Amino acid sequence: MSVDEQVMYAEGSPCVAVDRVAMRYRVASTELPVQTNTRGHLWLSRRRSPRSNLVTVKALNELSLVVGRGESLGVIGRNGSGKSTLMKLVSGQIRPSSGAVYASSTPIMLGVNAALVPDLSGDQNVVLGCLAMGLSRDEIDHSFDTIVELSGLEKSIHLPMKSYSSGMSSRLRFAIAASVDPEILLVDEALNTGDAQFADRSKRRMDELREKAGCVLLVSHSVETITEMCTRAIWLDKGDLIMDGPPQKVTKAYRDFTRHLSKGNNVSASKILEESRANLVVTEVMERVPGLRKSEANGHA
Amino acid sequence: MSTKQTALPEPAAVVHLSVDMGKLTRVGARPGFLDYLVQLWDFRQFIFYDARARVQSGTRRDKLGSAWLLLNPVFNGLTYYLIFGLLLHTSGGITNFIGYLVIGIFMFQLSAGSITNGARSIQQSKSIIQAFNFPRAALPIGVNLRELMANVPLLIAMLLIVLVAPPAETISWLWLLLIPVVVLQFVFNLGIGLILARVIAKVHDVTHLLPLALRAVMYGSAVFYSYERFIDHPFILTMMRMNPIFIVIDIVRDCVLYGRVPLWQSWAALSLWALGALGVGIVFFWKGEESYVRG
Repeated sequence: MSVDEQVMYAEGSPCVAVDRVAMRYRVASTELPVQTNTRGHLWLSRRRSPRSNLVTVKALNELSLVVGRGESLGVIGRNGSGKSTLMKLVSGQIRPSSGAVYASSTPIMLGVNAALVPDLSGDQNVVLGCLAMGLSRDEIDHSFDTIVELSGLEKSIHLPMKSYSSGMSSRLRFAIAASVDPEILLVDEALNTGDAQFADRSKRRMDELREKAGCVLLVSHSVETITEMCTRAIWLDKGDLIMDGPPQKVTKAYRDFTRHLSKGNNVSASKILEESRANLVVTEVMERVPGLRKSEANGHA
Repeated sequence: MSTKQTALPEPAAVVHLSVDMGKLTRVGARPGFLDYLVQLWDFRQFIFYDARARVQSGTRRDKLGSAWLLLNPVFNGLTYYLIFGLLLHTSGGITNFIGYLVIGIFMFQLSAGSITNGARSIQQSKSIIQAFNFPRAALPIGVNLRELMANVPLLIAMLLIVLVAPPAETISWLWLLLIPVVVLQFVFNLGIGLILARVIAKVHDVTHLLPLALRAVMYGSAVFYSYERFIDHPFILTMMRMNPIFIVIDIVRDCVLYGRVPLWQSWAALSLWALGALGVGIVFFWKGEESYVRG
Protein backbone atom coordinates (compact mmCIF):
# COMPACT_ATOMS: atom_id res chain seq x y z
CA MET A 1 0.00 0.00 0.00
CA SER A 2 1.45 3.33 -0.96
CA VAL A 3 0.88 6.15 1.47
CA ASP A 4 0.33 9.45 -0.25
CA GLU A 5 0.89 12.59 1.71
CA GLN A 6 -0.86 15.80 0.92
CA VAL A 7 -1.60 19.06 2.68
CA MET A 8 -5.05 20.56 2.84
CA TYR A 9 -6.31 23.71 4.45
CA ALA A 10 -9.36 23.59 6.70
CA GLU A 11 -11.82 26.35 5.98
CA GLY A 12 -12.50 28.67 8.90
CA SER A 13 -12.07 27.48 12.46
CA PRO A 14 -13.30 24.00 13.32
CA CYS A 15 -15.23 23.18 16.49
CA VAL A 16 -13.25 20.15 17.56
CA ALA A 17 -9.76 19.03 16.59
CA VAL A 18 -8.58 15.69 17.91
CA ASP A 19 -4.81 15.61 17.50
CA ARG A 20 -3.11 12.20 17.62
CA VAL A 21 -5.00 11.13 20.71
CA ALA A 22 -4.46 7.70 22.21
CA MET A 23 -5.82 6.19 25.41
CA ARG A 24 -4.20 3.37 27.30
CA TYR A 25 -4.93 2.06 30.76
CA ARG A 26 -2.57 0.04 32.93
CA VAL A 27 -4.61 -2.27 35.07
CA ALA A 28 -4.09 -5.42 37.09
CA SER A 29 -5.32 -8.58 35.45
CA THR A 30 -6.35 -11.65 37.38
CA GLU A 31 -5.35 -13.84 34.47
CA LEU A 32 -2.47 -16.01 35.65
CA PRO A 33 0.80 -15.29 33.85
CA VAL A 34 2.43 -18.21 32.07
CA GLN A 35 3.58 -20.48 34.89
CA THR A 36 7.28 -21.17 34.93
CA ASN A 37 7.50 -23.03 38.21
CA THR A 38 4.75 -25.63 38.33
CA ARG A 39 6.05 -26.93 41.63
CA GLY A 40 5.29 -23.73 43.55
CA HIS A 41 2.40 -23.66 45.98
CA LEU A 42 -0.80 -22.70 44.26
CA TRP A 43 -1.94 -20.24 46.94
CA LEU A 44 1.37 -18.46 46.78
CA SER A 45 1.34 -17.96 43.04
CA ARG A 46 -2.32 -16.90 43.13
CA ARG A 47 -1.52 -14.27 45.66
CA ARG A 48 1.39 -12.90 43.78
CA SER A 49 -0.02 -12.95 40.31
CA PRO A 50 -2.37 -9.93 40.41
CA ARG A 51 0.53 -7.77 41.45
CA SER A 52 2.95 -8.97 38.82
CA ASN A 53 0.40 -9.12 36.03
CA LEU A 54 -0.20 -5.53 35.09
CA VAL A 55 -1.50 -5.32 31.55
CA THR A 56 -1.96 -2.38 29.23
CA VAL A 57 -5.43 -2.02 27.80
CA LYS A 58 -5.53 -0.02 24.61
CA ALA A 59 -8.89 1.70 24.59
CA LEU A 60 -8.10 3.94 21.66
CA ASN A 61 -5.16 3.89 19.27
CA GLU A 62 -3.70 7.06 17.86
CA LEU A 63 -6.50 8.97 16.20
CA SER A 64 -6.84 12.36 14.58
CA LEU A 65 -10.12 13.94 13.67
CA VAL A 66 -11.36 17.39 12.75
CA VAL A 67 -15.03 18.27 13.13
CA GLY A 68 -16.09 21.51 11.50
CA ARG A 69 -18.86 23.93 12.34
CA GLY A 70 -22.26 22.69 11.28
CA GLU A 71 -21.16 19.07 11.09
CA SER A 72 -22.91 16.22 12.89
CA LEU A 73 -20.56 13.32 13.32
CA GLY A 74 -21.96 9.88 14.03
CA VAL A 75 -19.73 7.29 15.69
CA ILE A 76 -20.48 3.60 15.26
CA GLY A 77 -18.69 0.45 16.24
CA ARG A 78 -19.03 -2.72 18.25
CA ASN A 79 -18.82 -2.84 22.04
CA GLY A 80 -15.30 -2.00 23.16
CA SER A 81 -14.42 -0.20 19.97
CA GLY A 82 -13.53 3.01 21.82
CA LYS A 83 -16.66 5.02 21.01
CA SER A 84 -17.41 6.08 24.55
CA THR A 85 -13.72 6.58 25.28
CA LEU A 86 -13.56 9.02 22.38
CA MET A 87 -16.54 10.90 23.76
CA LYS A 88 -15.07 11.07 27.25
CA LEU A 89 -11.81 12.34 25.81
CA VAL A 90 -13.54 15.09 23.85
CA SER A 91 -15.63 16.12 26.84
CA GLY A 92 -12.57 16.22 29.08
CA GLN A 93 -13.85 13.56 31.46
CA ILE A 94 -10.61 11.67 30.98
CA ARG A 95 -7.19 12.83 29.92
CA PRO A 96 -5.58 11.16 26.88
CA SER A 97 -2.39 9.15 27.43
CA SER A 98 -0.92 11.04 24.50
CA GLY A 99 -2.09 13.71 22.10
CA ALA A 100 -4.60 16.46 22.82
CA VAL A 101 -8.15 17.47 22.08
CA TYR A 102 -8.82 21.07 21.09
CA ALA A 103 -12.24 22.66 21.10
CA SER A 104 -13.68 26.10 20.45
CA SER A 105 -15.69 25.98 23.70
CA THR A 106 -16.37 23.56 26.53
CA PRO A 107 -18.10 20.49 25.06
CA ILE A 108 -21.15 19.33 26.98
CA MET A 109 -21.87 15.62 27.19
CA LEU A 110 -25.46 14.53 27.17
CA GLY A 111 -25.28 11.17 28.73
CA VAL A 112 -26.07 9.71 32.06
CA ASN A 113 -22.54 9.91 33.32
CA ALA A 114 -22.91 13.10 35.29
CA ALA A 115 -22.90 11.44 38.70
CA LEU A 116 -24.04 13.81 41.39
CA VAL A 117 -24.01 13.91 45.18
CA PRO A 118 -26.14 11.01 46.48
CA ASP A 119 -26.72 12.53 49.93
CA LEU A 120 -28.29 15.69 48.56
CA SER A 121 -31.86 15.94 47.38
CA GLY A 122 -32.77 16.14 43.73
CA ASP A 123 -33.42 19.89 43.73
CA GLN A 124 -30.15 20.58 45.55
CA ASN A 125 -28.38 18.50 42.93
CA VAL A 126 -30.04 20.51 40.17
CA VAL A 127 -28.72 23.77 41.63
CA LEU A 128 -25.29 22.29 42.37
CA GLY A 129 -24.96 20.76 38.90
CA CYS A 130 -26.01 23.97 37.17
CA LEU A 131 -23.62 26.02 39.31
CA ALA A 132 -20.85 23.56 38.41
CA MET A 133 -21.61 24.17 34.74
CA GLY A 134 -21.05 27.86 35.36
CA LEU A 135 -24.65 29.09 35.40
CA SER A 136 -25.58 31.94 37.71
CA ARG A 137 -28.30 31.69 40.37
CA ASP A 138 -30.65 33.85 38.27
CA GLU A 139 -30.24 31.60 35.24
CA ILE A 140 -30.87 28.56 37.44
CA ASP A 141 -34.02 30.04 38.97
CA HIS A 142 -35.14 30.75 35.44
CA SER A 143 -34.64 27.24 34.09
CA PHE A 144 -35.29 25.26 37.30
CA ASP A 145 -38.89 24.38 36.46
CA THR A 146 -37.96 23.29 32.95
CA ILE A 147 -35.29 20.97 34.33
CA VAL A 148 -37.65 19.40 36.86
CA GLU A 149 -40.31 19.02 34.19
CA LEU A 150 -37.89 17.38 31.75
CA SER A 151 -36.68 14.97 34.43
CA GLY A 152 -40.29 13.99 35.14
CA LEU A 153 -39.48 13.51 38.82
CA GLU A 154 -42.31 15.69 40.16
CA LYS A 155 -42.52 15.38 43.99
CA SER A 156 -39.53 13.04 44.22
CA ILE A 157 -37.28 15.97 43.37
CA HIS A 158 -37.19 16.78 47.10
CA LEU A 159 -35.93 13.33 48.13
CA PRO A 160 -32.24 12.51 48.50
CA MET A 161 -30.75 11.19 45.29
CA LYS A 162 -29.62 7.94 46.88
CA SER A 163 -33.27 6.95 47.16
CA TYR A 164 -33.75 7.25 43.39
CA SER A 165 -34.02 4.34 41.01
CA SER A 166 -31.29 4.23 38.40
CA GLY A 167 -33.77 5.39 35.78
CA MET A 168 -34.80 8.35 37.92
CA SER A 169 -31.26 9.53 38.56
CA SER A 170 -30.23 9.14 34.93
CA ARG A 171 -33.26 11.21 33.92
CA LEU A 172 -32.25 13.92 36.35
CA ARG A 173 -28.67 13.89 35.07
CA PHE A 174 -29.87 14.20 31.53
CA ALA A 175 -32.17 17.08 32.45
CA ILE A 176 -29.35 18.95 34.20
CA ALA A 177 -26.88 18.46 31.35
CA ALA A 178 -29.54 19.49 28.82
CA SER A 179 -30.28 22.75 30.63
CA VAL A 180 -27.56 24.69 28.79
CA ASP A 181 -27.35 25.24 25.04
CA PRO A 182 -23.85 24.08 24.23
CA GLU A 183 -21.93 24.95 21.09
CA ILE A 184 -20.39 21.50 21.03
CA LEU A 185 -22.85 18.78 21.92
CA LEU A 186 -21.81 15.21 22.68
CA VAL A 187 -24.46 12.54 22.86
CA ASP A 188 -23.68 9.04 24.06
CA GLU A 189 -26.81 7.15 23.26
CA ALA A 190 -25.34 3.84 24.26
CA LEU A 191 -25.77 4.98 27.86
CA ASN A 192 -29.25 6.36 27.52
CA THR A 193 -31.97 4.76 29.55
CA GLY A 194 -35.48 5.65 30.54
CA ASP A 195 -39.00 4.60 29.77
CA ALA A 196 -40.87 5.37 26.56
CA GLN A 197 -42.46 8.53 27.95
CA PHE A 198 -39.09 9.95 28.95
CA ALA A 199 -37.45 8.82 25.72
CA ASP A 200 -40.00 10.87 23.82
CA ARG A 201 -39.46 13.97 25.95
CA SER A 202 -35.68 13.68 25.90
CA LYS A 203 -35.64 13.18 22.14
CA ARG A 204 -37.54 16.41 21.66
CA ARG A 205 -35.09 18.31 23.86
CA MET A 206 -32.15 16.68 22.10
CA ASP A 207 -33.50 17.73 18.69
CA GLU A 208 -33.80 21.30 19.96
CA LEU A 209 -30.24 21.24 21.25
CA ARG A 210 -28.93 19.69 18.06
CA GLU A 211 -30.45 22.43 15.99
CA LYS A 212 -28.86 25.15 18.11
CA ALA A 213 -25.45 23.49 18.51
CA GLY A 214 -22.48 24.37 16.34
CA CYS A 215 -21.44 20.76 16.02
CA VAL A 216 -22.65 17.43 17.30
CA LEU A 217 -20.84 14.19 18.06
CA LEU A 218 -23.23 11.30 18.44
CA VAL A 219 -22.51 7.75 19.54
CA SER A 220 -25.20 5.27 18.65
CA HIS A 221 -25.73 1.59 18.06
CA SER A 222 -28.65 2.43 15.86
CA VAL A 223 -27.67 2.73 12.22
CA GLU A 224 -30.96 4.53 11.53
CA THR A 225 -30.17 7.27 14.06
CA ILE A 226 -26.80 7.87 12.42
CA THR A 227 -28.09 8.04 8.85
CA GLU A 228 -31.02 10.18 9.92
CA MET A 229 -29.23 12.71 12.07
CA CYS A 230 -25.63 12.91 10.93
CA THR A 231 -23.82 14.52 8.03
CA ARG A 232 -20.74 12.36 8.46
CA ALA A 233 -19.93 9.09 10.18
CA ILE A 234 -16.88 7.25 11.45
CA TRP A 235 -16.54 3.56 12.25
CA LEU A 236 -14.27 2.46 15.06
CA ASP A 237 -13.20 -1.10 15.76
CA LYS A 238 -11.07 -2.19 18.74
CA GLY A 239 -9.71 1.31 19.12
CA ASP A 240 -8.85 1.86 15.47
CA LEU A 241 -10.45 4.16 12.94
CA ILE A 242 -11.76 1.98 10.12
CA MET A 243 -13.83 4.28 8.00
CA ASP A 244 -14.66 7.97 7.74
CA GLY A 245 -17.18 9.29 5.26
CA PRO A 246 -20.82 9.91 4.38
CA PRO A 247 -23.17 8.15 6.82
CA GLN A 248 -24.91 5.99 4.20
CA LYS A 249 -21.62 4.52 3.00
CA VAL A 250 -20.13 3.97 6.45
CA THR A 251 -23.25 2.46 7.98
CA LYS A 252 -23.65 0.14 5.00
CA ALA A 253 -20.13 -1.23 5.41
CA TYR A 254 -20.62 -1.54 9.17
CA ARG A 255 -23.96 -3.31 8.73
CA ASP A 256 -22.44 -5.78 6.27
CA PHE A 257 -19.61 -6.38 8.68
CA THR A 258 -21.84 -7.12 11.66
CA ARG A 259 -24.17 -9.27 9.56
CA HIS A 260 -21.30 -11.45 8.49
CA LEU A 261 -20.04 -11.65 12.04
CA SER A 262 -23.38 -12.70 13.46
CA LYS A 263 -23.63 -15.43 10.84
CA GLY A 264 -20.19 -16.63 11.82
CA ASN A 265 -18.56 -15.64 8.54
CA ASN A 266 -15.51 -14.24 10.26
CA VAL A 267 -13.38 -14.34 7.13
CA SER A 268 -15.70 -12.22 5.01
CA ALA A 269 -16.30 -9.91 7.97
CA SER A 270 -12.62 -9.21 8.42
CA LYS A 271 -12.32 -8.79 4.66
CA ILE A 272 -14.83 -5.94 4.79
CA LEU A 273 -13.00 -4.45 7.73
CA GLU A 274 -9.65 -4.64 5.96
CA GLU A 275 -11.02 -3.27 2.73
CA SER A 276 -12.63 -0.30 4.47
CA ARG A 277 -9.48 0.39 6.42
CA ALA A 278 -7.35 0.16 3.27
CA ASN A 279 -9.45 2.85 1.63
CA LEU A 280 -9.32 5.14 4.65
CA VAL A 281 -7.86 8.60 4.25
CA VAL A 282 -6.28 9.55 7.55
CA THR A 283 -6.22 13.14 8.69
CA GLU A 284 -3.26 14.55 10.54
CA VAL A 285 -3.72 17.85 12.28
CA MET A 286 -1.20 20.52 11.34
CA GLU A 287 -1.39 23.53 13.60
CA ARG A 288 -1.76 26.77 11.76
CA VAL A 289 -1.41 29.66 14.15
CA PRO A 290 -2.29 33.23 13.28
CA GLY A 291 0.74 35.40 14.06
CA LEU A 292 -0.41 37.18 17.20
CA ARG A 293 -1.44 34.17 19.23
CA LYS A 294 1.63 32.11 18.51
CA SER A 295 3.02 32.15 22.02
CA GLU A 296 -0.31 31.05 23.44
CA ALA A 297 -0.63 28.15 21.04
CA ASN A 298 2.89 27.02 21.84
CA GLY A 299 1.96 27.03 25.49
CA HIS A 300 -0.70 24.44 24.83
CA ALA A 301 1.66 22.02 23.13
CA MET B 1 -13.12 -13.07 16.90
CA SER B 2 -10.90 -13.47 13.91
CA THR B 3 -10.52 -9.79 13.16
CA LYS B 4 -6.95 -9.54 14.34
CA GLN B 5 -5.77 -6.01 14.95
CA THR B 6 -2.27 -6.86 13.82
CA ALA B 7 -3.58 -7.61 10.34
CA LEU B 8 -5.00 -4.12 9.85
CA PRO B 9 -3.76 -2.70 6.55
CA GLU B 10 -2.22 0.72 6.28
CA PRO B 11 -4.64 3.50 5.38
CA ALA B 12 -4.68 4.60 1.77
CA ALA B 13 -3.47 8.12 2.32
CA VAL B 14 -2.53 10.63 4.94
CA VAL B 15 -3.89 14.11 4.59
CA HIS B 16 -2.23 16.86 6.54
CA LEU B 17 -5.05 19.14 7.43
CA SER B 18 -3.89 22.57 8.39
CA VAL B 19 -6.15 23.81 11.15
CA ASP B 20 -6.55 27.36 12.39
CA MET B 21 -5.83 26.92 16.09
CA GLY B 22 -6.43 30.56 16.99
CA LYS B 23 -9.93 30.05 18.40
CA LEU B 24 -9.33 26.59 19.83
CA THR B 25 -8.24 25.75 23.34
CA ARG B 26 -7.18 22.40 24.63
CA VAL B 27 -9.96 20.57 26.46
CA GLY B 28 -9.22 20.39 30.18
CA ALA B 29 -6.19 22.66 29.88
CA ARG B 30 -4.93 24.34 33.02
CA PRO B 31 -5.45 28.11 32.89
CA GLY B 32 -2.80 30.59 33.96
CA PHE B 33 -2.54 31.19 37.69
CA LEU B 34 -4.33 34.53 37.73
CA ASP B 35 -7.05 33.24 35.38
CA TYR B 36 -7.44 30.35 37.76
CA LEU B 37 -8.03 32.66 40.71
CA VAL B 38 -10.55 34.65 38.66
CA GLN B 39 -12.34 31.42 37.72
CA LEU B 40 -12.46 30.40 41.38
CA TRP B 41 -14.06 33.74 42.18
CA ASP B 42 -16.61 33.17 39.40
CA PHE B 43 -17.50 29.83 40.96
CA ARG B 44 -17.98 31.28 44.45
CA GLN B 45 -21.72 30.53 44.37
CA PHE B 46 -20.95 26.90 43.62
CA ILE B 47 -18.50 26.79 46.52
CA PHE B 48 -20.97 28.31 48.99
CA TYR B 49 -23.87 26.18 47.84
CA ASP B 50 -21.77 23.03 48.00
CA ALA B 51 -20.64 23.86 51.53
CA ARG B 52 -24.09 24.77 52.81
CA ALA B 53 -25.86 21.78 51.30
CA ARG B 54 -23.33 19.39 52.76
CA VAL B 55 -23.57 20.83 56.26
CA GLN B 56 -27.27 20.07 56.24
CA SER B 57 -26.90 16.55 54.91
CA GLY B 58 -23.71 15.61 56.76
CA THR B 59 -25.22 13.83 59.76
CA ARG B 60 -28.65 12.98 58.42
CA ARG B 61 -27.93 9.26 58.68
CA ASP B 62 -27.54 9.37 62.46
CA LYS B 63 -30.51 9.30 64.80
CA LEU B 64 -29.16 12.18 66.86
CA GLY B 65 -28.40 14.24 63.75
CA SER B 66 -26.19 17.28 64.13
CA ALA B 67 -25.96 16.71 67.89
CA TRP B 68 -23.03 14.45 67.04
CA LEU B 69 -21.05 17.47 65.96
CA LEU B 70 -21.09 18.48 69.62
CA LEU B 71 -21.19 15.06 71.28
CA ASN B 72 -18.02 13.87 69.56
CA PRO B 73 -15.60 16.39 71.08
CA VAL B 74 -17.46 16.26 74.42
CA PHE B 75 -16.94 12.49 74.65
CA ASN B 76 -13.38 12.95 73.52
CA GLY B 77 -12.89 15.49 76.26
CA LEU B 78 -14.40 13.17 78.87
CA THR B 79 -12.08 10.35 77.81
CA TYR B 80 -9.02 12.54 77.97
CA TYR B 81 -10.17 13.95 81.31
CA LEU B 82 -10.49 10.45 82.77
CA ILE B 83 -7.23 9.12 81.37
CA PHE B 84 -4.89 12.06 81.49
CA GLY B 85 -6.47 14.13 84.24
CA LEU B 86 -7.52 11.51 86.77
CA LEU B 87 -5.34 8.45 85.96
CA LEU B 88 -2.06 9.86 84.66
CA HIS B 89 -2.20 13.28 86.37
CA THR B 90 -0.77 15.18 83.42
CA SER B 91 -2.81 18.07 84.71
CA GLY B 92 -0.08 18.96 87.22
CA GLY B 93 0.30 22.71 87.52
CA ILE B 94 -2.75 23.54 85.42
CA THR B 95 -5.30 25.53 87.39
CA ASN B 96 -8.42 25.11 85.26
CA PHE B 97 -7.77 21.71 83.73
CA ILE B 98 -11.27 21.24 82.31
CA GLY B 99 -11.17 24.55 80.48
CA TYR B 100 -7.59 23.91 79.41
CA LEU B 101 -8.49 20.47 78.04
CA VAL B 102 -11.73 21.58 76.36
CA ILE B 103 -10.04 24.42 74.49
CA GLY B 104 -7.20 22.12 73.42
CA ILE B 105 -9.51 19.43 72.10
CA PHE B 106 -12.03 21.67 70.36
CA MET B 107 -9.44 23.83 68.64
CA PHE B 108 -7.42 20.79 67.60
CA GLN B 109 -10.53 19.08 66.29
CA LEU B 110 -11.30 22.09 64.12
CA SER B 111 -7.98 21.73 62.32
CA ALA B 112 -7.93 17.94 62.25
CA GLY B 113 -11.41 17.69 60.75
CA SER B 114 -10.83 20.37 58.15
CA ILE B 115 -7.47 19.00 57.07
CA THR B 116 -8.71 15.40 56.85
CA ASN B 117 -11.78 16.30 54.83
CA GLY B 118 -9.97 18.84 52.69
CA ALA B 119 -7.31 16.27 51.88
CA ARG B 120 -9.91 13.73 50.78
CA SER B 121 -12.08 16.18 48.88
CA ILE B 122 -10.67 15.43 45.43
CA GLN B 123 -10.56 11.68 45.95
CA GLN B 124 -14.15 11.61 47.19
CA SER B 125 -15.64 13.82 44.49
CA LYS B 126 -14.32 11.96 41.47
CA SER B 127 -17.77 11.74 39.94
CA ILE B 128 -18.55 15.44 40.09
CA ILE B 129 -15.06 16.23 38.77
CA GLN B 130 -15.62 13.98 35.78
CA ALA B 131 -19.07 15.34 35.15
CA PHE B 132 -18.36 19.06 35.14
CA ASN B 133 -15.64 21.49 34.22
CA PHE B 134 -14.88 23.86 37.07
CA PRO B 135 -11.69 24.91 38.86
CA ARG B 136 -11.01 21.91 41.08
CA ALA B 137 -9.76 24.00 44.00
CA ALA B 138 -13.45 24.84 44.51
CA LEU B 139 -13.87 21.43 46.18
CA PRO B 140 -11.25 21.74 48.97
CA ILE B 141 -12.35 25.33 49.55
CA GLY B 142 -15.99 24.22 49.79
CA VAL B 143 -15.12 21.44 52.23
CA ASN B 144 -13.17 23.83 54.45
CA LEU B 145 -16.03 26.31 54.43
CA ARG B 146 -18.40 23.52 55.39
CA GLU B 147 -16.14 22.54 58.29
CA LEU B 148 -15.98 26.15 59.41
CA MET B 149 -19.77 26.53 59.30
CA ALA B 150 -20.30 23.25 61.11
CA ASN B 151 -17.81 24.28 63.79
CA VAL B 152 -19.30 27.64 64.76
CA PRO B 153 -21.83 26.01 67.14
CA LEU B 154 -18.96 23.96 68.56
CA LEU B 155 -16.94 27.05 69.35
CA ILE B 156 -19.94 28.53 71.13
CA ALA B 157 -20.38 25.27 73.04
CA MET B 158 -16.71 25.38 73.96
CA LEU B 159 -17.10 28.85 75.43
CA LEU B 160 -20.23 27.77 77.31
CA ILE B 161 -18.40 24.85 78.88
CA VAL B 162 -15.61 27.17 79.98
CA LEU B 163 -18.23 29.50 81.49
CA VAL B 164 -20.12 26.77 83.31
CA ALA B 165 -17.57 24.14 84.32
CA PRO B 166 -15.81 24.89 87.63
CA PRO B 167 -13.78 27.00 88.06
CA ALA B 168 -16.02 29.22 85.96
CA GLU B 169 -14.35 31.95 83.93
CA THR B 170 -15.85 35.33 83.13
CA ILE B 171 -16.50 36.84 79.72
CA SER B 172 -14.09 39.54 78.63
CA TRP B 173 -13.51 41.57 75.45
CA LEU B 174 -10.51 39.30 74.80
CA TRP B 175 -12.93 36.58 73.73
CA LEU B 176 -13.47 38.55 70.53
CA LEU B 177 -9.91 37.68 69.53
CA LEU B 178 -11.24 34.18 68.91
CA ILE B 179 -12.54 35.44 65.54
CA PRO B 180 -9.16 36.38 63.98
CA VAL B 181 -7.62 33.20 65.38
CA VAL B 182 -10.26 31.04 63.74
CA VAL B 183 -9.89 32.94 60.47
CA LEU B 184 -6.13 32.37 60.45
CA GLN B 185 -6.66 28.75 61.42
CA PHE B 186 -9.13 28.35 58.53
CA VAL B 187 -6.59 29.77 56.07
CA PHE B 188 -3.93 27.43 57.43
CA ASN B 189 -6.21 24.35 57.24
CA LEU B 190 -7.16 25.24 53.69
CA GLY B 191 -3.54 25.53 52.60
CA ILE B 192 -2.56 22.18 54.12
CA GLY B 193 -5.76 20.61 52.74
CA LEU B 194 -4.92 21.81 49.21
CA ILE B 195 -1.43 20.35 49.39
CA LEU B 196 -2.66 17.01 50.75
CA ALA B 197 -5.57 16.87 48.29
CA ARG B 198 -3.17 16.80 45.34
CA VAL B 199 -0.86 14.32 47.08
CA ILE B 200 -3.76 11.97 47.91
CA ALA B 201 -5.25 12.26 44.44
CA LYS B 202 -1.93 10.93 43.17
CA VAL B 203 -0.91 8.52 45.96
CA HIS B 204 -3.96 7.28 47.75
CA ASP B 205 -1.88 5.46 50.39
CA VAL B 206 -1.25 8.76 52.16
CA THR B 207 -4.82 8.63 53.56
CA HIS B 208 -3.64 5.86 55.86
CA LEU B 209 -0.77 7.96 57.16
CA LEU B 210 -2.81 11.11 57.69
CA PRO B 211 -4.51 10.05 60.97
CA LEU B 212 -1.11 9.02 62.33
CA ALA B 213 0.43 12.34 61.41
CA LEU B 214 -2.49 14.23 62.95
CA ARG B 215 -2.22 12.25 66.15
CA ALA B 216 1.48 13.07 66.34
CA VAL B 217 0.63 16.75 65.90
CA MET B 218 -1.96 16.44 68.66
CA TYR B 219 0.59 14.97 71.10
CA GLY B 220 2.88 17.81 70.15
CA SER B 221 0.27 20.49 70.76
CA ALA B 222 -0.05 20.34 74.55
CA VAL B 223 -3.70 19.42 74.36
CA PHE B 224 -3.85 17.59 77.70
CA TYR B 225 -0.61 18.53 79.44
CA SER B 226 1.16 21.79 80.19
CA TYR B 227 3.96 22.73 77.80
CA GLU B 228 5.90 23.80 80.86
CA ARG B 229 6.93 20.19 81.46
CA PHE B 230 9.40 20.70 78.59
CA ILE B 231 10.82 23.88 80.06
CA ASP B 232 14.19 22.10 80.51
CA HIS B 233 14.27 20.83 76.95
CA PRO B 234 14.83 23.95 74.85
CA PHE B 235 14.72 21.98 71.59
CA ILE B 236 11.35 20.37 72.23
CA LEU B 237 10.05 23.68 73.53
CA THR B 238 11.09 25.55 70.38
CA MET B 239 9.61 22.83 68.18
CA MET B 240 6.34 23.12 70.07
CA ARG B 241 6.32 26.91 69.87
CA MET B 242 6.69 26.56 66.08
CA ASN B 243 3.74 24.16 65.83
CA PRO B 244 0.90 26.20 64.30
CA ILE B 245 -1.81 24.17 66.03
CA PHE B 246 -0.14 24.72 69.37
CA ILE B 247 0.03 28.46 68.62
CA VAL B 248 -3.71 28.49 67.92
CA ILE B 249 -4.51 26.63 71.13
CA ASP B 250 -2.12 28.79 73.13
CA ILE B 251 -3.61 32.05 71.84
CA VAL B 252 -7.15 30.90 72.60
CA ARG B 253 -6.17 29.80 76.12
CA ASP B 254 -4.53 33.16 76.73
CA CYS B 255 -7.68 35.00 75.64
CA VAL B 256 -10.33 32.80 77.19
CA LEU B 257 -8.74 31.31 80.31
CA TYR B 258 -5.97 33.61 81.45
CA GLY B 259 -7.38 36.95 80.34
CA ARG B 260 -4.09 38.15 78.89
CA VAL B 261 -3.39 39.59 75.46
CA PRO B 262 -1.46 37.02 73.40
CA LEU B 263 2.12 37.93 72.44
CA TRP B 264 2.53 39.61 69.06
CA GLN B 265 5.11 36.94 68.22
CA SER B 266 2.38 34.28 68.39
CA TRP B 267 0.19 36.28 66.01
CA ALA B 268 3.07 36.85 63.62
CA ALA B 269 4.05 33.18 63.61
CA LEU B 270 0.47 32.04 63.07
CA SER B 271 -0.08 34.54 60.23
CA LEU B 272 3.12 33.39 58.57
CA TRP B 273 2.03 29.78 58.82
CA ALA B 274 -1.42 30.52 57.49
CA LEU B 275 -0.41 32.69 54.54
CA GLY B 276 2.55 30.47 53.73
CA ALA B 277 0.41 27.32 53.73
CA LEU B 278 -2.27 28.94 51.58
CA GLY B 279 0.26 30.37 49.10
CA VAL B 280 2.14 27.10 48.70
CA GLY B 281 -1.10 25.11 48.74
CA ILE B 282 -2.92 26.99 46.01
CA VAL B 283 0.08 27.06 43.65
CA PHE B 284 0.86 23.39 44.27
CA PHE B 285 -2.78 22.43 43.75
CA TRP B 286 -3.10 24.54 40.59
CA LYS B 287 -0.01 22.88 39.10
CA GLY B 288 -1.77 19.53 39.28
CA GLU B 289 -5.10 20.83 37.95
CA GLU B 290 -5.11 18.57 34.90
CA SER B 291 -4.29 15.41 36.81
CA TYR B 292 -7.45 15.25 38.93
CA VAL B 293 -9.75 13.85 36.26
CA ARG B 294 -8.02 10.48 36.43
CA GLY B 295 -6.26 8.67 39.21
